[in-house]
Amino acid sequence: MSALPANDGSAPVRRRRVPVPSIVSGLGAGLLGAIVVGIIAHQLASPMRTGDTTLVAAYIAFAIFFLAGIGAFNFPVSWGLGRPDTTREEEEALAGKGDGVWRYFRFCTDHKVVGVQYLITVLVLFLVGGLASFMIRLEQAQSGAKVFTPGTYNTIVGLHGIIMIATTIIMLSAPFGNFIVPIMIGAKDMAFPRLNALSFWMLFPAVPILLSSIVLGGFPTGWTGYAPLADQAALGMDAYCITIVLVGLSIALGAINIAATVITMRAPGMTWTRLPIFVWSTLFSTALGLIVFPAFMVAVVLTLLDRVFGTGFYEASLGGNNWAYEQLFWFMGHPEVYVIVLPAVGAVCEIVPVFTRKPLFGYKMVVAAMAAIFVISMGVWMHHLYWSGANTALDTPIMLSTEIISIPTGLVFFALIGTIWRGRTRFTLPMMFAIAFIVNFLVGGVTGLYLADVPTDTIYHGDMFTLAHFHFTLVGTAVFGFLGAFYYWFPKVFGRQLDERLGKIQFWLLEIGFWGTFVPLFYAGLQGEPRWQAYIAGQYVSANRISSTFAILIDRPRTAAWTLVAIVCALTVAAIAFASPEPE
Amino acid sequence: MTAGTTQRDTGTPADAAGVSHIRRVLILWIVLSIIGVVATVIIFPLINPTSASAVSSFANTTNVVFTALAMPVVMFVLAFVFYSLFTFRERHAPETPVEELPDGPNIQASPRQQVAWLVITAALAFTTVAWGMFGFYKQTADNPPNPLVVNVVGQQWLWTYSYPGQGVTSDVLYLPAGRPVSFRVTSKDVLHGFVIDALGVAMDANPGWWSTAPIVTPTRLGSYYSHCVELCGLYHTYMWSKIKVVSKASFAEWVTASGGHNSGGTASS
Repeated sequence: MSALPANDGSAPVRRRRVPVPSIVSGLGAGLLGAIVVGIIAHQLASPMRTGDTTLVAAYIAFAIFFLAGIGAFNFPVSWGLGRPDTTREEEEALAGKGDGVWRYFRFCTDHKVVGVQYLITVLVLFLVGGLASFMIRLEQAQSGAKVFTPGTYNTIVGLHGIIMIATTIIMLSAPFGNFIVPIMIGAKDMAFPRLNALSFWMLFPAVPILLSSIVLGGFPTGWTGYAPLADQAALGMDAYCITIVLVGLSIALGAINIAATVITMRAPGMTWTRLPIFVWSTLFSTALGLIVFPAFMVAVVLTLLDRVFGTGFYEASLGGNNWAYEQLFWFMGHPEVYVIVLPAVGAVCEIVPVFTRKPLFGYKMVVAAMAAIFVISMGVWMHHLYWSGANTALDTPIMLSTEIISIPTGLVFFALIGTIWRGRTRFTLPMMFAIAFIVNFLVGGVTGLYLADVPTDTIYHGDMFTLAHFHFTLVGTAVFGFLGAFYYWFPKVFGRQLDERLGKIQFWLLEIGFWGTFVPLFYAGLQGEPRWQAYIAGQYVSANRISSTFAILIDRPRTAAWTLVAIVCALTVAAIAFASPEPE
Repeated sequence: MTAGTTQRDTGTPADAAGVSHIRRVLILWIVLSIIGVVATVIIFPLINPTSASAVSSFANTTNVVFTALAMPVVMFVLAFVFYSLFTFRERHAPETPVEELPDGPNIQASPRQQVAWLVITAALAFTTVAWGMFGFYKQTADNPPNPLVVNVVGQQWLWTYSYPGQGVTSDVLYLPAGRPVSFRVTSKDVLHGFVIDALGVAMDANPGWWSTAPIVTPTRLGSYYSHCVELCGLYHTYMWSKIKVVSKASFAEWVTASGGHNSGGTASS
């Protein structure tokens, strides 16, 4: 049952060296489609907006033709044409039977293959986003804009932000939600295997599209894509918008699938009250994403309409309003933090009982807490907009809801403390990440208090304190939870054990580097350093220099370790040292 | 399979000696909390930013209060987690097969514990809300007569300040100490964020709309900065300007020297 091609018992039946349809035909069709449609759109576009129109048409064509080229539409089309239903052999071929390693580069319906595809994608994206963060620290290590021009710097910040956000949203619920969740609930596969493959391959074309913005002048808005700056921005902005749409569709399809699987495909006896906590967390996370992410997609589609057709959704001079974007954006923006954190909470609640050899302290309590977070998180978004000048009547209720969400979060802490209490802890790598998760979440949670309250938010709004806070929750909490889960489930997924000692080195470098990077930024924020500064003014230099020094600790080992894991080449085997072929 | 692995003790050596771990960890928690609160109260005021108005002093006070309030919570989690991790950790040889390791005790949260935890965390959360509302009320309800009106216009990538009462326009913000100021903020192009940390002023500059920031009164003479806190494009990082809080007399002089008139009643309270 292993996903590794080497373990296939049967002799592989290889029809061609490069199977078609696969990623190769997908990229070929995508490029061809993009060029043809781009040329047509270029002819038809209004002379004022030729560039944006051509680009958007070409991007959409790239995504659609890529999916067609990889075979995503084969079944619906043949069904629509009245062809007979697929046979068992055809279904097995679609699930990658006999494809060997090529199954990972094809439209493959096997949930384990999709899980691995997602996992590798997540690691590669972390590498790209991590390199961008290293460039940010490089620029901020000294006073003055010396390394990059301000325009380049803004693009780097935006790429770092959007890549990391998109990646952290899917980092647990996509790889492990696909690979582990069906196993946990006793399902043979996901409820909609083709949809599963489609959700991954819809994400895939977003990567080249987003990176293409680098050669088109980048985008100046950061990951938030605030309008009307996004309306006036250069061509690179279109890449950002299309990326959001593709990522949003991919997340929605994946979320529907996971929800349907958990609701309908549980084995007999796997009642709701027995559902593993990670399954609960994945369900809550994906359902929350399904509800809130469309708001962001809509906001970005309106930006695209402004850019391509000259509508005025966000242009004050045409009767539009920038608050519309901000409200839609943050309606996604804050729940999205919980979309990211919930599966990490679930993973840690799986890991801690195992390595303390105790059952989870208060299973129902954790489920209830996650349910409460799920609901309340949709009512806190306006705390990002205390000083937007709009809807000040909501300030007080939102302050209330934002502080109230700390109550269910506190229950999660209570459950983790109770589980660890008197536990016979073994300090394995996943457990170390789980402990660091608790410590970092504590800092991230407490610093959130200051931002939730209007008086302190007055001085922290939009400055480095905010930045350090959300890096503590998203990196210190969510990514540490992800890494714990990664090391915990790696043997299950790949059938091999990673070297514990190298992992512990990575853990300590990451934890020390992370604290060293972001604690000084709390101080810089307290002193008033705004975010998105290519130019560091004199008074903030020392805090930033300390931060940058420690950032090297995060980036070097992460870059090294994750590149190697991600690319899986001969060097990986030497460096990561796969110790034993059998999981523990 | 070493000899040590065969013994299946359920407790720890400390248990055998009749030690109450709960009491120990509670003492540890109280000690750590006291250290934390004292350290907060002593250290935080030293690193708080410069404040030049009642609003920003209140923010600075809130920093200290919230941190002091958070200390017992943080220390509770840390004390329990690390005491337990250290005291009860698995002491068998690392090569012991997992199947031979004893289990930890099955402890479940009792309803009373859960309710107690909920009540305490809720009380803390509502305390911070009440504090925040109090601050918010102080910040916004204060409506002194005859404030100095300053129109703040953001554009890529500079701030322009105009004083409609005085008929002066400037790119450096001069403010008379002791007189309430009302900032009306807008933008000519994209979203900007007007922030003066030292005064506790924050208000987005929305294109096409005027937004009024809560009134503040500068109380301390000196030079400060305003920043743009919303990413507004290429030279966002250079979008800051100088603010000078001067005496009322110097302000009147500056207005006259800039070609304005002081009929706006600078001398009023």
